[in-house]
Amino acid sequence: MAHESPGDGMAGGGLWALARRSMGIVAVAALLALSVFTAAGEQRFPPPDFESGHQLPVTSTPAARAVWLQYADAMVLAATLGASAWLVYRKRSRKGLVALSIFSLVYFGFYRKGCVCAIGSTQNIALALCDSGYAVPAVVTAFFLLPLIFALFGGRVFCAGVCPHGALQDLVLIKPIKLPAWLEQGLSVLPYLYLGAGVLFAATGSAFLFCQYDPFVPLFRMSGRSVMVVSGVALLGLGMFVGRPDCRFLCPYGALLKLCAAVAKLRVRVTPAACTQCRLCEASCPFGAMREPAAANPEPRALAADRRRLALLLALLPALVAGGAWLGGRFGVPASRMHPTVSLAERFVREGSAPPKSGLPTDEDLALERAREAPKELLTQAAAIRHRFVIGGWVFGGWSGLVIGMKLLSLSLHRRRNDYEPDRGDCFACGRCFEYCPNTLSQSAIPASPIRDSSRV
Amino acid sequence: MSDIPPASTLSRPWRLTAGVAAVFSVLLGLAMVAGHLGTRAEDPLQSPQLREMKAKLPLSPADELLKGEIRQLDLQLRGRYFRQLERTSSGVYLLIGGVAIFILASTRVRRLERQPPMPQPQVDGSPEAARAAAARWAVGAIGVAAGAGLFALSLGLRPALPERAADIDKLLEAGAAPAPVPSDAASPDELARNWPRFRGPEGGGVSSLTNLPARWDAKTGAGILWKTPMSSPGFNSPIIWGNRVFFSGGDASQREVICLDLKTGQLLWRQAVAAPSPAGNAAQGSEIPDSTGYAASTMATDGRRVYAIFANGDLAALDLEGKQLWSKNMGPFKNSYGHAISLATWRDRLLLQLDQGESDDGKSKLCALDGRTGQVVWQRARKVGASWASPIVIEAAGKAQVITLAAPWVAAYAAADGAELWRVECLGGEVTPSPVFAGGLVLAASPSEKLLAIRPDGQGDVTKSKVVWSAEDNVPDITSPVSNGELAFTISSPGLLTCYDAKDGKKQWEHDYEMDCHASPAVAGNRVYLFSQKGAAVVVEAAREFKEVFRTEMGDGFHASPAFAQGRMVLRGMTNIWCVGEAQ
Repeated sequence: MAHESPGDGMAGGGLWALARRSMGIVAVAALLALSVFTAAGEQRFPPPDFESGHQLPVTSTPAARAVWLQYADAMVLAATLGASAWLVYRKRSRKGLVALSIFSLVYFGFYRKGCVCAIGSTQNIALALCDSGYAVPAVVTAFFLLPLIFALFGGRVFCAGVCPHGALQDLVLIKPIKLPAWLEQGLSVLPYLYLGAGVLFAATGSAFLFCQYDPFVPLFRMSGRSVMVVSGVALLGLGMFVGRPDCRFLCPYGALLKLCAAVAKLRVRVTPAACTQCRLCEASCPFGAMREPAAANPEPRALAADRRRLALLLALLPALVAGGAWLGGRFGVPASRMHPTVSLAERFVREGSAPPKSGLPTDEDLALERAREAPKELLTQAAAIRHRFVIGGWVFGGWSGLVIGMKLLSLSLHRRRNDYEPDRGDCFACGRCFEYCPNTLSQSAIPASPIRDSSRV
Repeated sequence: MSDIPPASTLSRPWRLTAGVAAVFSVLLGLAMVAGHLGTRAEDPLQSPQLREMKAKLPLSPADELLKGEIRQLDLQLRGRYFRQLERTSSGVYLLIGGVAIFILASTRVRRLERQPPMPQPQVDGSPEAARAAAARWAVGAIGVAAGAGLFALSLGLRPALPERAADIDKLLEAGAAPAPVPSDAASPDELARNWPRFRGPEGGGVSSLTNLPARWDAKTGAGILWKTPMSSPGFNSPIIWGNRVFFSGGDASQREVICLDLKTGQLLWRQAVAAPSPAGNAAQGSEIPDSTGYAASTMATDGRRVYAIFANGDLAALDLEGKQLWSKNMGPFKNSYGHAISLATWRDRLLLQLDQGESDDGKSKLCALDGRTGQVVWQRARKVGASWASPIVIEAAGKAQVITLAAPWVAAYAAADGAELWRVECLGGEVTPSPVFAGGLVLAASPSEKLLAIRPDGQGDVTKSKVVWSAEDNVPDITSPVSNGELAFTISSPGLLTCYDAKDGKKQWEHDYEMDCHASPAVAGNRVYLFSQKGAAVVVEAAREFKEVFRTEMGDGFHASPAFAQGRMVLRGMTNIWCVGEAQ
């Protein structure tokens, strides 16, 4: 069940509330309508049959982006990451981060069309690690490594103001609601599972799932597959109320960043000085990253039960990993059909003795015909790929079991917290909480004008 | 009283803006949805009215009024369609703008009306413990759901692919996936000794035999070995393998392959071709005008099987005894004059050039089929429209090349895998003369325009680099050129015979026979053989000076090109199949 953040109470009575809800629905509907037309951009219209000798222009393929521009992209990435870290840790400026987000959205999103992006680069790295014949361009490696390196030192500054996906979701967040903690924690394991699946398919050379199902790239390119467009618009619609749903519950690169940020040297702090425990910031985070102060040790009676639970979960962890690996190994067989060679071999075996089709063959038919020239080679190749998938499936399943087990363990540990502070891994470093801290306001001598008491009407 | 106005006052313009933007976005969205649906209805390809008119056109192809109406309607529909697309494109940007304004204004409203945080009294107990417990259950549930999902997926479609290498061998041995059979095609020497396709072993209309007849007399029967009445309609030329002559014939009711004994002219067998129905909508069948008929394409053989294709798309392979081995329908063909491209073979593969429609239709293809099974080995799309010139296979630049003609390209493909090797942009009009390869040059005629010689060792577009010469005098529009490597000969439809130097294209001589010719000339030894539609047969010397050797009237009409065997020449007339030669 979702409930409203206390800091976001509505003014103006029920009528305005109704109007705003309606407008939210309207905006979602409008975005969905947009999806229809963007999807229609895929349509191709055959040219007319000219009889006048008119020469149709030749279709040309755009040239690849110049190498120096690619290096410029990497430099822009490094510069924006640096700027983001500076804005978070030195300037503590929410406005600066918003401006940087808009720049990143325009540059990495609309100008660069969302590619290369750090999220997708994970797959290139996975493929390169498992396929010696695949070389990763240096720029792709930079896009993969730079945000992680920054996260190791300064948390998720990439999410704060550099990632165009995050910027887009951050900008459409109109009326955030707070998700129940159990739902938030439950869904938080999904990015790790998606990461595992994406790496499995990329490492086996089958598919780049993160790219094929990227929800926001169609918006950057004003064109895309319907499933991507609709999922993107749905996430943006949801993102008006649930802060950054894709970043929190789907983004596989966010999972990596979260792991790095958890051990980061620097961490985002709400207050620049000693916390006064005023609790003004406790509902400031729309992403559920704010943690309350907590004592290190619970009551003695509860402690014994907690210890038993911890021991049980520790014992269960190998079983979860083993069970996941077994399931993943079984999953590897059907998953291998995503690989074109395995898919062709399966079709070849099923239709090997079928009579030739009448009419002109499709591309798939032709692939099958070619396969008939060297069937053993095809079947052997497919069997080898499927074997790799089974091995990869074991790893993926084991990883999934480990993620679930570790999450359960982390939810069974007590951590001492003296102040209200953002969770190291979950915090996007967006800087919203800065504005809630009276210490920040007093240090920067900023009047609290943006926050008004509407009860004075 | 405070200097700061109430929040509701400050936020009112933003609220109003948000409302206007929302209403604008909704109305625009609805208008775009309506326009989008309308666009689909106006898609010219979906218009029932236009389809109906187009369907009527083949029934009355000369109806200029109907053509004009089709063009007009097509133009109107396309105009509306593209205007709507433009509106949609503009609408998308407006919609993005509207939504952006709505979000901006709503955000401002929220900021202006935001209440200061008001922490509530903290509850006693340990809410964090309760939250952690609930979260553990949620994580557990997600884990169980993920595991169940993986398990369910693993129970899905049973894999057909065997798990172990040994099982793969068993599967192949079981025949579910038949192992490849070695090629059984005839050797190049065998092919050279026969007449396995349109215009002979290399498709050039040249025979290496020297014991061929120089004169005969149809009236007295001198030099006529046998004459067998034609019983099946068709314009295709005969082919010869061993002691057998093959040709095809047919009409809408039946298509067949006929085999005669080369020595006696006796019918050995005739086999009706049974092919599956055309793929797709039967109502949109192949275009087959009477002037071309069902059997204009000449058969081909690889020495083990004979192949025949008909204008309705029926394609069949038969063994030399007439047993049908496989068949399929490659149609329907969109070809206003009907499909007439002859077949070719390379090793045990059958080559099909299926040029049809307009270049933008994407229907033209070049295919190689396994002659034993009919399965497609490779296929290449050709961005050309309909053509009627038959492909030839040559050995040049270390490769077996398939030479094809269709406006505007002379294009060569690797016979092994269909990869395009080179192309020359030089053809125009309705390309009917087939190419020939002689003296290291490919000769190709752009109908009634120019004859070109191309060196076939380039890569990519070699229009500017590989055309050795071109000639523009007396270029044929239907018949194909012939060359012995030293000289090249053409005969135009009205009977103007021209001799060129094959090395540089210089005209050596011309002679006007004033006879209608559709049959391509042939060269055997030092003679050029010509046959007219009205039955004239002419032999001239293949020399730099014109010299007629022989002329006779056959009393038959000839559209087909001659086929040669040891001491014999087989002719297909409109009423008889002729065999000319010295009795042995």
